[in-house]
Amino acid sequence: MSLADVQITLVPNALIAHVTGEVDMSNAEDVGATVIKATPNEAQGVVLDLSGVEYLDSAGIYVIYGMRASLQARGQALVLVIPRSSPVHDSLRLAGAERPGEVAEAVEEALAIFDNAPPPGS
Amino acid sequence: MADTRAETDRPRNLGTGQVVLLPAEPVAEPAEELASSARFTDPGLSELPIERLLGELLNRIQEALAVDTVAILLLDADSQQLVARAAKGIEEEVERGVRIPLGHGFAGRIAAERVPIFIADVDHADVLNPILREKGIVSLLGVPLVVEGELIGVLHVGSLRAREFGQNELAVLQMAAARAAPAIEHARLFAALQHEHDVSMALQRSLLPKRLADMVGVKVATRYLPAREEVGGDWYDVFELPRGRVGIVIGDVVGHGISAAALMGRLRTALHAYAIEGHGPGRTLELVDRFVQSLAESAMATAAYAVFDTYTSALQYATAGHLPPVVISDGEARVLDVTPAPPLGAFPYGRCPEHELSLDSGEILLLYTDGLVERRGVPLSTGIEALATAVGGATTPEAACASAIAELVPVVGLRDDVAIVSLQSAFVPNELHLTLPAEPKTLSHVRRVLRRWLNERGANEGDIAEMTIAVSEACANAIEHAYAPSPATFELHGWANNGEVTMTVRDDGHWRPPRGQNRGRGLSIIVAAMDDVQIDRTADGTEVVMRRHITGK
Repeated sequence: MSLADVQITLVPNALIAHVTGEVDMSNAEDVGATVIKATPNEAQGVVLDLSGVEYLDSAGIYVIYGMRASLQARGQALVLVIPRSSPVHDSLRLAGAERPGEVAEAVEEALAIFDNAPPPGS
Repeated sequence: MADTRAETDRPRNLGTGQVVLLPAEPVAEPAEELASSARFTDPGLSELPIERLLGELLNRIQEALAVDTVAILLLDADSQQLVARAAKGIEEEVERGVRIPLGHGFAGRIAAERVPIFIADVDHADVLNPILREKGIVSLLGVPLVVEGELIGVLHVGSLRAREFGQNELAVLQMAAARAAPAIEHARLFAALQHEHDVSMALQRSLLPKRLADMVGVKVATRYLPAREEVGGDWYDVFELPRGRVGIVIGDVVGHGISAAALMGRLRTALHAYAIEGHGPGRTLELVDRFVQSLAESAMATAAYAVFDTYTSALQYATAGHLPPVVISDGEARVLDVTPAPPLGAFPYGRCPEHELSLDSGEILLLYTDGLVERRGVPLSTGIEALATAVGGATTPEAACASAIAELVPVVGLRDDVAIVSLQSAFVPNELHLTLPAEPKTLSHVRRVLRRWLNERGANEGDIAEMTIAVSEACANAIEHAYAPSPATFELHGWANNGEVTMTVRDDGHWRPPRGQNRGRGLSIIVAAMDDVQIDRTADGTEVVMRRHITGK
């Protein structure tokens, strides 16, 4: 059984990456690289949806910082989706990294942060 | 012999100018003698495997009629073609896989019209098969092979010199055909059955899990006994699911043979796929039911599926037309109550109610197929009770399977497949002592073990979540330290005393200072999550001792 899964959705101004499962030192770098590689240059940024993440360790937190840095270098933003009840909060709190960037409760809220004009013709 | 005699029509001629009209008088005595001396009636013939039977028949016919060539073509019902199956003198027929369409050429017309045909001169006749000409055959005589009114093939003989086959020769050939045909059919059916049996057995074997992975928190044992005569569609599977859960399923596809085995493989895959999506056992079975309903062919199966949560020991289960699971605890086995639900594929929108119980440490769940408990003339409930009695004393899944088979499966004459799959909620030791490979993928394993162990120690969810993160981080450090030539293992030790849990992670590697600002977060997490942390770094390795009071549930 694979530990985590990444599902990518492209919306007009952003890329949404839904991560599910457990993220630790065994797969954190792969998860990060998958999202960064899939991000088109036109996107204003990435919504990293962690609401399906059951476990996140320091390697995962490290990768989130790394993603943030590489996106910033391309002028793109990173918004994290972490619901109030998520175990991800425990990890971030214990690591003293409670807000590793912009954090939203839900994907819609995260998307609103970007200039999310409706797609042409809709 | 009346039947044979009745079919002794005059041979039909093909082409022009080679008609040989044979006298329509009764078969002369010499023919009978000739035939019987050739021993076409030998009862031993029908016991031979088909290849040897055909070879033996060809020899005897060649000898009896003093011909140069003999060939047997059998009808392939699917293609409606005659396929050369055995030949003497014209072995090329078989080697080249000669196929003659029904109704065409020499053999094709014998088969289609079910009449003997004599060809005096091949050169002037409608003969499709070039090999007959290449071999220099001049004259041919052929008869149909018929069993109970069904055409199964053609038997023909040939001569390299012009020869007029007379009434006697025709009678001998027809007698040989009449006696050989049932033996061929018998051998062919048997070979086909044997082949189907072999194929379905191989398929069945290849579709069942070869080896079950070691899973945290459970012990598993399985058995599969195929019925001697027909392979059925019994199947089982055990697989890991997200969040420390384990799925265990058993099923039985209605029917036998290759198609049942193939359907079994599809059901097993479908169920695993739905289960991974996170559905509970009831919903998973309902989805598999919809899957079966969507198949083009009509199909039906029964199944019992359970999900065991290794963190909490909760067991959820549901059945679809399947026999109730058995649970063994404290030396006694009980049959679980299940709300009856229809088999998979039986009715539209079948519902599978879900049940839940706690499968505590050491308790064993047993799923089985009806082949284990169904005996002719005995009520099913009696068989199930006998199973419960047989496995009551088992203390391991292996022992449960062994007892069930020893007590319930007859030594010979198993009429139906038997499959058993058994899962034990593994004992959780008071003290944890693990030596683990220093690989990143070990971490998820450690977390599973730890969550179960801490739950069993009475820790609440908050305790478990935070301590799991801390210990996993300490193990991650140990894995990072373990670089060659250090032995690639580390140790995890845990014990609980007076509401305080102490966890120790020890490795033989050299301490490496955290690289970069964020790499240090692992240590911060450990310190923040535990009440007390001591790190002892020596030349021999690193030991991290972590303590935390558990507040209880």
